[in-house]
Order: sequence, then structure tokens, then C-alpha cells
Amino acid sequence: MADEPNDAHSRPLDKARHLKYWTRCLRSPLPHHYTPNDSNRIALAYFILSAIDLLHLSDPNSENDPKVRDSTLRLTPAERHRFRTWILSCQHAGGGFCGSPSMTLPSHSYGGWSFEDSKPTMGNPGQANIAATVFALILLALLADDETEACSAYSGVDRWKTLRWLRRLQRPDGSFGEILEEVEGKGLVIGGGKDMRYCYLAAMLRWMLRGDIQPGEPGWVEDIDVEGLVRYIGRSQTYDHGIAESSEHEPHSGYAYCAISALSLLDRPLDGGQHPHAALKTALPDMSSVVQWLVSRQFPYTDPEDPDNSEDEALQQTFTTLTISEPGNPVAFNGRCNKAADTCYCWWVCGALSVLPPLQPDGDNVATIIPRPEARRFILEKVQHIIGGFSKHPGGPPDLYHSYLGLAALATMGEPSLKEFDAALAVTSETAKKLVAARTGLISRTKKAGQPEGLGGKLLDMGVQVAGGKRPAWLEAL
Amino acid sequence: MPPKGKTVAKPKEAEKPTPPSTTTTSSPTQPTTVNDRTKQRIEAINPLSAAVTRAGGISHLAPAERTLYINARFAQSPTLRAKLGTKAQRDLWRHVNEASLPVRTLLPVIPKTNIWGSDKTGRDVGTYSPEEFAARSQRRNRLTCLLVASRAFEARRERARRGVKDPVTGEVVMVAENEVDQERERRREMDALRRELYGVKTGSYAQDPEWDGVVPVELGEQEGELAAIAYPEEYAEAISYLRASMLRKEYSPRTLRLTEHVIKLNPAHYTVWLYRFSILSALNLPIPGEINWLNGIALSNLKNYQIWHHRHLLVDHYYPTIASDPAALASFAASETDFLSEILERDTKNYHVWSYRSFLVRKLGMWKMDNERERRSVEAMIEDDVRNNSAWSHRFFVVFNDPEQSTPDVAATEPDPAVPGDIIEREIQYARNKIYLAPQNQSPWNYLRGVLVKGGRKLAEVEGFVGEFVKNLGDDEKEEVRSSHALDLLAEIYAEKGDREMAATCLKRLGEKWDPIRYGYWEWRRGMLEA
Repeated sequence: MADEPNDAHSRPLDKARHLKYWTRCLRSPLPHHYTPNDSNRIALAYFILSAIDLLHLSDPNSENDPKVRDSTLRLTPAERHRFRTWILSCQHAGGGFCGSPSMTLPSHSYGGWSFEDSKPTMGNPGQANIAATVFALILLALLADDETEACSAYSGVDRWKTLRWLRRLQRPDGSFGEILEEVEGKGLVIGGGKDMRYCYLAAMLRWMLRGDIQPGEPGWVEDIDVEGLVRYIGRSQTYDHGIAESSEHEPHSGYAYCAISALSLLDRPLDGGQHPHAALKTALPDMSSVVQWLVSRQFPYTDPEDPDNSEDEALQQTFTTLTISEPGNPVAFNGRCNKAADTCYCWWVCGALSVLPPLQPDGDNVATIIPRPEARRFILEKVQHIIGGFSKHPGGPPDLYHSYLGLAALATMGEPSLKEFDAALAVTSETAKKLVAARTGLISRTKKAGQPEGLGGKLLDMGVQVAGGKRPAWLEAL
Repeated sequence: MPPKGKTVAKPKEAEKPTPPSTTTTSSPTQPTTVNDRTKQRIEAINPLSAAVTRAGGISHLAPAERTLYINARFAQSPTLRAKLGTKAQRDLWRHVNEASLPVRTLLPVIPKTNIWGSDKTGRDVGTYSPEEFAARSQRRNRLTCLLVASRAFEARRERARRGVKDPVTGEVVMVAENEVDQERERRREMDALRRELYGVKTGSYAQDPEWDGVVPVELGEQEGELAAIAYPEEYAEAISYLRASMLRKEYSPRTLRLTEHVIKLNPAHYTVWLYRFSILSALNLPIPGEINWLNGIALSNLKNYQIWHHRHLLVDHYYPTIASDPAALASFAASETDFLSEILERDTKNYHVWSYRSFLVRKLGMWKMDNERERRSVEAMIEDDVRNNSAWSHRFFVVFNDPEQSTPDVAATEPDPAVPGDIIEREIQYARNKIYLAPQNQSPWNYLRGVLVKGGRKLAEVEGFVGEFVKNLGDDEKEEVRSSHALDLLAEIYAEKGDREMAATCLKRLGEKWDPIRYGYWEWRRGMLEA
């Protein structure tokens, strides 16, 4: 089997075509089919801008295709500014971000709003959402022109309130919800069900905003229950060594990625340096069993003979076809055992493998155990669409989600014409550096200001000063 | 300006005035458009001006007509008349009267374009045929009548709200349900008329008398928006009323219906579900009714997870009211299982449904309820499709998490001494039987391994069974492998026994021949053996 991603069997990635697809997504309104995504428009924005980021090499002159070199998708400073303003307008008065303008209230509606004493009452149509918060923070950093500019990317972000809000999203069992909402007759409810995605987003948010502020220093916010989260994730491994949102459910590639990345982010060094992977080793001591479950998600793809019976290609496989399949034939991934091929699982599986500590010294895990040329063939030959973008299943229409995750999968397989990718953060390494710069800038301003960011924190500090300048223990426990 | 004497002298010379209206205007042809008709009417009342236009200027008129035209102009204008002497004025009037011109004239003399306005498509109404125009006028009249009736309704409802007495009957004004329905019907008609006449559309909430008085909280769209969606007007309107209702914390039947509408348009809206729950809770509505409603929504939105989270909340809310009544509990469990079976028939591996199902088993304690219905039901699904991994996972949960025969808090990957040996045996046997049906199906292999670990058994216990699927290993000619999963398990069995060489052979053959797409993985595993 060939090891080079660019083997003769496969065509090159037609970046110009994909850029055309993303141009449409960025510059004209999305069709009404996206109405069910209206509450999560920041997530759609993340797919669009991250894909554009991934497709553009940092140096335009290193692009071979003139259409890519002259792409009009490189954002102008005015555009960056406008997008930034829009994202900040989705920030919630109680910390965190709402998913779209339809989830954001006119600013006067938030007058006197306070999470600390739940005033005025909280149930309202404009609530912050954990996914929107993470994607908003990624976008703010991504929109900075370079690392220097990224230092001020988080000015205007209420770090203190957001981290306090994050703590409230954690349940006693260590897991996280997506929203905090007051429900009649029940009081404050952590909404969103048990879902490994929220645990991942919580770990991400903590890594993006918390920084190295020590207790007693200005801007310090009590941490989430990290041990509880690690324990919760560890207990989500199932009898067949996959990961679900609980060991009592069926394991799922998406949840496996979220669990592994959450663990990896919990002790990821703040700005580079050796990753101890301690949380991963604690929660999943038998890492090789997880690897086995992950590699079991790939199977040789054959076009279904009867299009009406396309569900579960794996099901059609007899053992004979499995073994005699020609090397070089497309290899697809599924999300669960015996399920159908789906573009996004190429990413969830390869992404999860990339985040795990190296299986071989200095090795790239995906290169070590995934047949990259064949996996690449599935993406480029089976789900790549003529108008650009990728579809979920072969023959389907492209959509933002699968189009971005298809690119992300290619990037983790080392696609040379894409930017380097940071699998745990699901952004380019360039944007990961901006995230670090944005946090560093925010933390240093917080320390310099001598008080927490945000009005709530400032008021609290004023109160403390009036009362003699000592922060009582009960205040920290809030 | 004409000299006074001369102008007046002229009519005297023209002794034979011919009434221009009768001679110069032929009887009008049937007008084809409204503009035509307007023109004809204007000409009919301004015969001299029409004659001037036709002739192409005053100087081309016949002398008699020219004189009449000028005199008529003098007669119309007091300023001009004042310049004439008394006698000349008398002559003037006589001359004009003899011509018996129409009494009225209208300005403008020549119809300008677009005096009738445009319709919703931008077409000049003047280009309508008279019939079309009549129909349009009729609709406008109808709209006006409806508007009057609608205002009357509003006034009447306001009186009813304030408890005002009817001056005629002396009774307090009441607005009956059918009057509201009539008003709703009226507004629907008004909306249709407005749309037809002017292209103006009022949303269904703005039309609905039930929603009068609620000011929708519109979306503040702004420049620089990312991922803007071209959503239907219906959605934008419903959302703006939802926002208004949530801010008012209104818990009422109409807001319950509103949440249903929004959910149908956008089931992934992340706060509408909790709002709906608040309404149910505040109005103290029966949970079974809501669950019944939810069934329909779930069937039409198979991939949505908020629906299942909502159901989860409903069950948590409902459970305490039936917890102490075993019959009610059993009946609820049965109706839930029936619905879950129905939805799983359509989508056998639906993740949300299976997750909810395991929550329900634990919540209602359905482990052995109804003669182990849960295990039997899953067994039937595996009979239908032995590759349904969701069903396999659920079976593992039902068997190994039953509090009667398991230790709480033991991880799924750890042995549990509380599980009776006969159950371990039964499950091993079950998995083996299913493996025979389809040896390359990974689900029962995973299950088998999971059961062995749960029972604290050695993998070697099934070596004989696994051997049935792997013959003459390492012999190029006669090697026969019926399942790569068997070969994988065999590698583990050898490794467990400390036979590294045989384990390595299994892994090598997997990569080389029996499962080449995982070549890199098997080689890595082989490398791990040596470590």
C-alpha cells in the first residue's frame, strides 16, 4: 500500500472549486433548508470561516492554482471588523454567547440582569449556549489578521462572567449541559441532556479563557470540577471499548472524539510545551482498546448496487469481498458498528486518533494506522460534490457541516495543500496560535487592570473594598 | 394680450356658430382601457380643447371654432373678462351660450400617465380594461367594508373587556367565541385582499385576533452578519412572537400552540423546549397528553435530539405521580415501549431513541418487568437484524446493569462478581449462536468479549469456539479464516497465554491477508507484543 497521500489513484484536491462553494456560503444568504440551524448560526459561521482559513495557505504565493492565489475570499480588514462586531453582539449579559441574533435580545431587555442573584427572572428567549460560546471565541481569534492583532481579540469578552457561567453548567456527576434556564416549577435547569459534546466544549472553553491566574490574584475564577469531568468521561467507556455519553449507551465516533479531545484539553499546556496527557491516561488507562474500537470504524467502501438499499454498506459485505478488495479501493468510516459510511466520521475517527498520544515515538497516529490514500479516495471520489463541498453520503447534496469536516479529515491525513490542523481544537494550527495569543492578551490585561473583567466583577470588587478589602471565603464559594 | 375692441368685434362677424361638440366629436368607440375611458370623458366635457388637440393648435382651427374657443376662454376667466367692456361681455356670453358648451370642465385637460396609480406588480391601473377595473374597485370596497366590521369588532371587544353595558339591551357586552372566529375569518379575507390589491402581506399572527396587543420582538438584523439564512417569513414572524411571549413569561394555551408552531419550523431551537415545559408546568397540563403530542413530532423529526431531552424531562416530572402505583407504572412502561418499538421499526438504530430507552428502563425499573419484556423485545430486534449493534448494546445494558444482579458503579469494562454465573453462561451461549449466523459480524464478537470480561472469565475459555473459524493458521495453502474478528480474538487469547509468537502470527496474517485495510493497525499491535 502506498504511503504518500498523493498517490496516482486519486485526483488532487480542487481547492478553487471548494473556495467557490465557501464564497457562496459567506457572501450570500444560506438557503431556507438551513432554517433548523437558525439557533446556531455562530456554528455555521465557524464552519464557513474555518474552512476558508484551512483552504488558504498563509503565503498566497505558495498556491499553484492562480484561482486560489487570487481568491477574493481573503477577508478585508473592514469585513473582519464587521464580523467581529456581529459576533460580539451575540454576547449574553450573563456571560457566554447566544447562537444567533434570534437568540439575542435587544440590549435594554438585559437591564439589571444578574446571574448572581437571578434578577430579573431568567427564563427568556436569549440564553447563552456553550457551543455558540466556543465558536464565537474561536471566530474572534480567527478574525485577527495575525498573532499580534490576536492579542486584543478578546477585548470586549466578559471572561469572568463566562467562566462563572461555565461552572454553573456542570452537573454533580461531572458532565456539562448546553444552557442554563429557569423553568417554571423547577427553578434553574441545566438544559441539554447528557452529551459528550458539551463536555468537550467545556474543556475547550476552560482552556481558551482560564489562563494561569492563581487564587487571590485579580480575575481569578474558581475552576470547574476537573476531576469530576475526568471521572465522568472515563466511566463512559462501553463494554466494547468505544465511548458513548454513558457506558449504558451505544458507543459513537463523535462522542469518542469529544471525550478524547476533552481529556486532552484539560491538561494541555497553555502555550505549547510537552503535553503530559495525564487526564487521558487516568480516564482511559487502556488506550489501545480505544484505538481498536476507532480503527474498527473503517471498512472498504463499495457502491451500493441498489440505490434504494444504500443503508449500511457494511451489511452488504460478505467476508470474501472484504478480503479480496483491491488495495487502493476507497475506505470509508462509520460512526457505530455496522452503520453506513458518512463523511463526518472520517473526521471524528481520524481526529480522535490524532489527539491521542503518539502510538509510536514521534509518529503521526493517522499515518501509522489509517490507510490514507484509500480513505482520501472515499472523500474525494465518493462524496466530493461538483459544486464544491462534501455531502454526508455518496450522491447527496453538500452541506456546511460535512463540507468542513471533510476538509478537516483531509487535513488530519496530512493533505499538503491545506494548512496544518490542530485536531483537539478543530482549527488550523495558525488559528490555535491566535487562540493562545488572544488568551494571553486577555489575561495580561486582567492582571494589569487589577480587577476582574466585566462590570459584575468590578462591582463585586468595589463591594469588597468598601467592606474592608478582604475577600471573604463565602464569596469565593459562590 | 388682444386689444379690447377687436376681440369682441370678432364674434359679430362669425354669425353662424356651429356647436362643436356635435360636429367635431364622432360618437366615442368603446374604451379598451381605463385611460382610454378617462380620455374620452375628458374630451366629452372639453370639446374645444379636444378640437384644438386634434387640429394641432389654435391656428389650425376653423375661424368660427377659433373664435368660440377664445371666447370660451374669456368666459371662463374673470380676470380676462374684466378687461372687456360691458357690451363686449354681453356679446361674449351670448356667443358662448349659443354654442351650448358643457357646463363642467375638468383639469388636466390631457390625461397624464399613471393617474390611477399602480397595482402590486407595478402595472399602471390605467391600462386595466374597464371590467378589470370594476373588479378591482369591488375588491377595494369589500376591503373597506371588512375594515369597518373589523374596527367594530375591536371596539366591541374593548367594551367587553371593560364590562360596558349595551345601551339598547342594558346587558354587559360579551364577545362570543364564534365572533372571534368570524373576525379571524375576516382578517384572513382582508389579508388575501391586501395581498391581491397591494401585494402587502400580514403574517398569520398579526392577523389573528387572539394575538392582538402582543408587540412582536423583531429580530435586529444588522450589517456584517454571518451565515444569514433566507428563512421563510412565517418563521421570522413566529420567532418574533415567541420572543415577545417568553419575555412576558406568558404561560397560556396560545403560547403553547405558538411553541408547537416554532418547534415544527425549527425543532433545534434550544430554548423553546424549556419554555414549552414551563408552560405545561404552569398550566398543570397532563403529561400523557403531551407525550402523545410528542410522539407525532418525534416520528416526523427522527434525527432531532431536543425532542428526546424534552421527553426525558417530562418523564422525570411525571414519574413521582405514578411511582407508588405499580399498575400505573407498568401501564406507562408498556405504552412507552409500544411507541419506542413503533419508532424503532422505522429507524432501527436511532441513537436518541436507544439512549432514551435505556434511561427509561432505569427510571421505571423495567429490568424484569412484564416477564422480562425489555430483553425479549431487544432479542426480537436482533432476530430481525443480527447486525443491529444498537440492539446488542441495549441488551448488554439490560442484562448487566440490572441492580438485582450487578454491582452499582462497576465500569462496563470491569468484571462484576455480582452477576450470576448462569447469566454469564446464557449470554456467552447467546453470542456464540449469533456468531454462527454471520461470522464476520463484529457485534456479537464484541458482545462475547464483553461478557467474558464481566464474568471475570479468561478469554481462553472460548479458544475452542474461536478455533472453529480459523483453520491451519500460517499454512499458505490451507489457511482458512471465516472471520477476521475470530483471528483478532485468537491473537488476544495467545497473548493472554503468553504465546507471543502465535499472537504475532495471527496479527501478521490479519494485516497481510484477512483484514488488509487495517494493515497499519495490525502491524502496530504486533509491535506492541514485543514491547
